Amino acid sequence: MYCKKECIAMLLAGGQGSRLYDLTKQIAKPAVAFGGKYKIIDFPLSNCINSGIDTVGVLTQYQPFALNEYVSNGQPWDLDRIRGGLYVLPPYQGNKHSDWYKGTANAIYQNINFIKQYDPDYVLILSGDHIYRMDYNKMLQQHKATGAACTVATITVPMEEAFRFGICNTNPDGSIYEFEEKPKNPKNNQASMGIYIFSTKTLIEYLENDEDDENSSNDFGKNIIPNLLGNGEKLYSYRFDGYWKDVGTISSLWEANMDLIGENPILTLEDQDFRIYSKNTARPPQYIGKSGVVENSLISEGCRIYGTVINSVISGGVIVEEGAIVKDSVVMEDVLVKKDACVYTAIVDSDTVVESGATVGKENAGKDEIALIASGSVIAKA
Amino acid sequence: MASSAAGIIFSSLNNNTLSRLTSDRTVAAIPFACRYRLIDFALSNMVNANMTNIYVVANYKYRSLLEHLGSGKDWDLARREGGITFISPFQTAHNSDNKMFSTHMEALKSMKEYINEIKEEYVVLMDSDTALTIDITDVIRSHESTGASVTIVTSDVPADYTAKNPRAMIASVAGKVTQIAMSASYDERHPELALGIYVMKTSYLRLLIDEAEAYDLNSFTLLLLKNCKSSNYMSYKYTGFAACVSSFLDYYKYSMELVNNEKARESLLWKKEAPIFTRVHNSAPTKHYPGAKVENSMIADECSIEGTVINSVIFRDVTIEKGAVVENCVLFHGTHVCKNAHLNCIVSDKDVIVTENVNLSGNHNMPFYIQKGRKI
Repeated sequence: MYCKKECIAMLLAGGQGSRLYDLTKQIAKPAVAFGGKYKIIDFPLSNCINSGIDTVGVLTQYQPFALNEYVSNGQPWDLDRIRGGLYVLPPYQGNKHSDWYKGTANAIYQNINFIKQYDPDYVLILSGDHIYRMDYNKMLQQHKATGAACTVATITVPMEEAFRFGICNTNPDGSIYEFEEKPKNPKNNQASMGIYIFSTKTLIEYLENDEDDENSSNDFGKNIIPNLLGNGEKLYSYRFDGYWKDVGTISSLWEANMDLIGENPILTLEDQDFRIYSKNTARPPQYIGKSGVVENSLISEGCRIYGTVINSVISGGVIVEEGAIVKDSVVMEDVLVKKDACVYTAIVDSDTVVESGATVGKENAGKDEIALIASGSVIAKA
Repeated sequence: MASSAAGIIFSSLNNNTLSRLTSDRTVAAIPFACRYRLIDFALSNMVNANMTNIYVVANYKYRSLLEHLGSGKDWDLARREGGITFISPFQTAHNSDNKMFSTHMEALKSMKEYINEIKEEYVVLMDSDTALTIDITDVIRSHESTGASVTIVTSDVPADYTAKNPRAMIASVAGKVTQIAMSASYDERHPELALGIYVMKTSYLRLLIDEAEAYDLNSFTLLLLKNCKSSNYMSYKYTGFAACVSSFLDYYKYSMELVNNEKARESLLWKKEAPIFTRVHNSAPTKHYPGAKVENSMIADECSIEGTVINSVIFRDVTIEKGAVVENCVLFHGTHVCKNAHLNCIVSDKDVIVTENVNLSGNHNMPFYIQKGRKI
């Protein structure tokens, strides 16, 4: 069936996220919980549907089970379509060869046939590692207006952190003349967000050439973008100025969660015109008991709070019993904090039980000393 | 395994006795327990019993009900076979002047074509003015094992029970129904209240409808009443929490009971094996700001709480600003309570705005109701 789309998205969701340690032992990074009721992948998927993109290939590789189950047929994001919709694209065994995805570019290369099926004019490349709300359509409009071969979304980062990113050096009109991957001495602070729009023909051409190059590490940042520049293709940067956070480390994940609370939160998710969708879990409303104290916190459905919760983000189904204290922490689904237990400055993964009187973490420890509790743990009193 | 029963849910009863809450919606669409509408309980009970063929009968203003149900997807009832079938009155070429159905039996008569096509062996009839979480599979099992023609779900009511309108009250001996009476208060000769849930063979329902047509009877309960001595009707005793909402005061009292009684919450909302499904709104989690104080309250998603909330039921997307105090209240979706306002024993309908420093108080036996969209 011929089913033409103007633009489709390819979402790279195979990353292990090894710097998230135990959080990604059993699940891929995009499936990590965030902000009480979301998973990281909800953000790019919701961005897609809110930008009018209804066809998304989700490329999985590392520990795909939880992620596959979560995205299933794309229904929570309204991506269950007869024409287009959401497809999970794992590595596969081919006629001639079978490979794991060797790099970001190779992952897309192996799915060129998926792309061709929709005969798109443009392909949007996304990653499943970031928390942000973005209208990709605006970026696409710029891409079309400039007639670029490729548009790279960029964001201003603090100069002292620029060395951790791919930096785009641009002319006044926004065209890119140089791309430096993690430069020691960055010339500016416009960092690539790992979001690219390619004109399909260019993308396929460069992916095929890249595949033929044995020395290539098959990566967009390291190979494809520099090759485009080297051949004099038109590259433009698209400046994004909203909230954007890489949640690849324990401290950045904790910080991004903390950005949701406070007197004037840096990140708000209540925008009814730009919803972040997530899979519904049919939980009852939260209940705060007579002895419950909740201050400066985000509380999700299904929670029952009889103890004290301060400066924390609490996911669905968490129970905090009487006398227990949860402070400066991120608590994921169905955690049980029993009587008189204390959880300080921690990320507690789902289904953990903190036994009566037990203590997790240190009070007022700060972002570099966050206690991490793996899913399903039982923390006994010391 | 798919269930051997089809369901029929009646969405509109007591519209006249619930005047305020139903001025703009049918009973089934009344918001209840923070994030639900009354029909969610009937639907979820059926879905949790693996029933997939469910008829929803509506005659009263059902716009908000239709919007709530959508395709049935949120109850997993968007199916190729079965799912939700919505039945509303219609005119035909032969009876364009005829009155539209208004009772259970009139509705059943008018949907005879549908009932004749039901393939399931059993049918479960359910009213949507009662919120309860019941294991329908067990009711059907009991129905099969007693060999009853009709199983009526009942619950014992306290001696001070009163309803706004007469309801079916039942007397039984060892589970066998001996008498049915219509009464609006506790009646020691008929101490069990029928909860509006009836299980029978589909073929028996067809017989009942034929009989009602033959005698020109328009009341389902009166037909059962007439037959109960000569037939094998059994009562199934339900002992959990049931909110039979027959009046505005009932509505308020049951809402407060949910807040004040942990057993009621456990029975209605916290059964792991029986989740209550409702329309998904993708709301963000609720934000409790620095300085907020919440005590003994149920709160839905996407609320913004800067003030004080005590003994209250707070629906989705409610804002309570700094210094505002909300006590013993039920605040529907979108209510906005501005700075230093003080509310006690209030039921506010959708999108009400209470402006700064306003002080409003009802009483536990006479809560104050604020109309949809009003600004105070």
